[in-house]
Amino acid sequence: MNIRLTLCVATLGLIAVLPLRDAQPFPLNGNDTTLPAGTELNEEALERPRELFHTEAFGGKKSYLVNLGDVAFHSPGILGGAAKQAAISCGTCHVNGAGNGKLFVPGLSTRPGNFDTTSLLFNPKTYDAQLNPVRIPSLRGARYLAPYGNDGRIASLREFVRNVIVNEFAGPEPSPAIVDAIVAYLNDIDFLPNPRIGAGGRLAAQATPSERRGETLFFKQFRKQANLSCAGCHMPTGAFVDHRQHDVGSGGLFKTPTLVNANFNAPYFHDGRYGSYDEVVEHFDRIFDLGYSEQDKKDLVAYLGAVGDADRPFERDNVALRMKEVDDFSSILLLAIPARDAQVVSMVATTVGAELRELAERIPDHKNTSVEGGLEERRAARNAVKELVLNLRRIEIAAQAGDFDKAEAEYQAFSNQTFIVVPSLLKKAQAWTLFNSGVSNAHYGAMRQMLQSSSGQASSGQGR
Amino acid sequence: MSRVLLILLILFRGASRTLLPSLVGLLAALSAPQARAATALDEAAERYRAHLIEDIGRTLAGTQRMRDCMKTNDLACAKKAWIEARVGWERSEVFTSGFVPELDQEIDAWPNATQGFHGVEARLFGAGRTDARDETEALIARLEELSAQLRTIPLAPQRLLNGMARLAFEVGGNKADGGESRLSGTSLNDMQSNADGIELAYRVIFADAISAGDAKLADAVRASVERLKVAVKISELKSLDGEKLRADSEELVTLLQIAAPKIGLAKPTLEETAQ
Repeated sequence: MNIRLTLCVATLGLIAVLPLRDAQPFPLNGNDTTLPAGTELNEEALERPRELFHTEAFGGKKSYLVNLGDVAFHSPGILGGAAKQAAISCGTCHVNGAGNGKLFVPGLSTRPGNFDTTSLLFNPKTYDAQLNPVRIPSLRGARYLAPYGNDGRIASLREFVRNVIVNEFAGPEPSPAIVDAIVAYLNDIDFLPNPRIGAGGRLAAQATPSERRGETLFFKQFRKQANLSCAGCHMPTGAFVDHRQHDVGSGGLFKTPTLVNANFNAPYFHDGRYGSYDEVVEHFDRIFDLGYSEQDKKDLVAYLGAVGDADRPFERDNVALRMKEVDDFSSILLLAIPARDAQVVSMVATTVGAELRELAERIPDHKNTSVEGGLEERRAARNAVKELVLNLRRIEIAAQAGDFDKAEAEYQAFSNQTFIVVPSLLKKAQAWTLFNSGVSNAHYGAMRQMLQSSSGQASSGQGR
Repeated sequence: MSRVLLILLILFRGASRTLLPSLVGLLAALSAPQARAATALDEAAERYRAHLIEDIGRTLAGTQRMRDCMKTNDLACAKKAWIEARVGWERSEVFTSGFVPELDQEIDAWPNATQGFHGVEARLFGAGRTDARDETEALIARLEELSAQLRTIPLAPQRLLNGMARLAFEVGGNKADGGESRLSGTSLNDMQSNADGIELAYRVIFADAISAGDAKLADAVRASVERLKVAVKISELKSLDGEKLRADSEELVTLLQIAAPKIGLAKPTLEETAQ
């Protein structure tokens, strides 16, 4: 467990809100991986950031474009180079559209949650011969947070997305339709609601006295520069941003970051140098000579904790959530097959197929010694999920061959299975899968034990 | 609505199966072409048995060499023997996971640092030590047990086809994390041996039968097996084109599912579920 994060959480008085028990880091190991040994992607975490879609929050349904953007966002195929090779996608860093405070790539990260986007590893053409990692931002509420990039260098989200794909991650030039879709997806990711803030961005009625004192400090003019205050840049009537760049003594001009849901966005500052609000407040007190007392600092941190909170920030990963995503993603085929759009059919089939393969891997097979019992249930569930993978492959093959009637029939068969049969098989098996924290701990415990036997030097194989 | 009908249909089929005498099934089994195919496949499965015995024999010999290397604390020798022992084992996976799942678990448990091939791998390649004598003895004992069973165990062609389809699917899995044998760095060797094992089983057991019924389909399967072999014939795991391999793997399984009814077998399952 990340100690810094725990401390931060404790400081914010949120103990018992975050179920961090399961979130043990599990780095890559061996020398056969594209990413350096010791890379931590935190893909095993059972608690995942909750993703709230604007359309669904208001009782609607995600559009074709939003779903297609979500698929592209989770498709390693739109990236190139090492990213594609390592099967990572936009969603690896921006888990469910939030950030990934635990991601760490040796040589590219200086602490968990930051990452150098101009390295030799992902695109030699961007290599700038310096270790200058930037923090992985949450994308919640991105539509309110222009301009983009930590220094706000790009005005348009569309242009920013293209730059990430083509330049940061060496992908081929994406089709305009795919970029549109990704932008539609990002624009649909809402901030999570926060009952602790009311109208105008002011604290709600139940705020504590300390939070109220913090709010007063937040609006108060700086004692040495009366034209400045926290609220001057982090404007509470908006998304706690002013859409401008400022020099706050962190090494240049950087965009004002949002404070909404920021409790879950650590580490802080453009390079992720700070792990907690305490450090952030210390920084401003020092740079702007604010003369804060210890109590002032505590009050301001309490206020930030109230402003940065969220309703149900995490959700427990399970088979039902996985299958909902499969349904949402594959619903694209309802339009893409009749439109004879082989390219989109192929991307959806490939990406959903990969996610289903990953789901099957979360159901231990008979060789796995970290789980006992439920072997028949596990086998039935694994078999059904693998059949879905093949079903998608048949859709893809048919579409590539221009046989869209066959693709349509295969899609019918697919959705018949995903409607009741497969979810119920998965539900029956779930207790013996990696979605169960006991099984997950035993499984990854065994993996860790196996890999820690390594003295760090794995010998190389003898490929023929 | 159509889903409700489908469910009703399934229920009705289930009921009719218990109500009707098994006469229909009996007649189907006795129909001449299917019976001929079944006999030919059974004979082919017996020819495959000889290959299985040879591969597991090599694996057993490799683990015995590994034990001898450990006796003299010769780490390099033990590592080499471990890698050699894996070849026959991985080729035999068409058979092992479906026919002898318990031995499969004891011999090839994963992830597990204390037993089987990967337990020994952790000692040899992870810790760089040769003190895995007990684990190696246990491994040898299990392999001897397997060798003995191989002489008489019935080799139902259906289950061999299931095993082949399952292994073909498994080869297409994501190996970005270093794969199964990441401490020894031989995950790629495993995949190459798997592909060899698939080719062997196809050639020895199924190729002729499919060819007799549908020559074009047989060509397609043969080409698909070849593509799978080529996809893993690379120098290092890092240069694997995972998406291409996955497509090759799934296309092969799809073809096997099409071919199955043409040789009198049921569509292969991807797990050894109760059929």
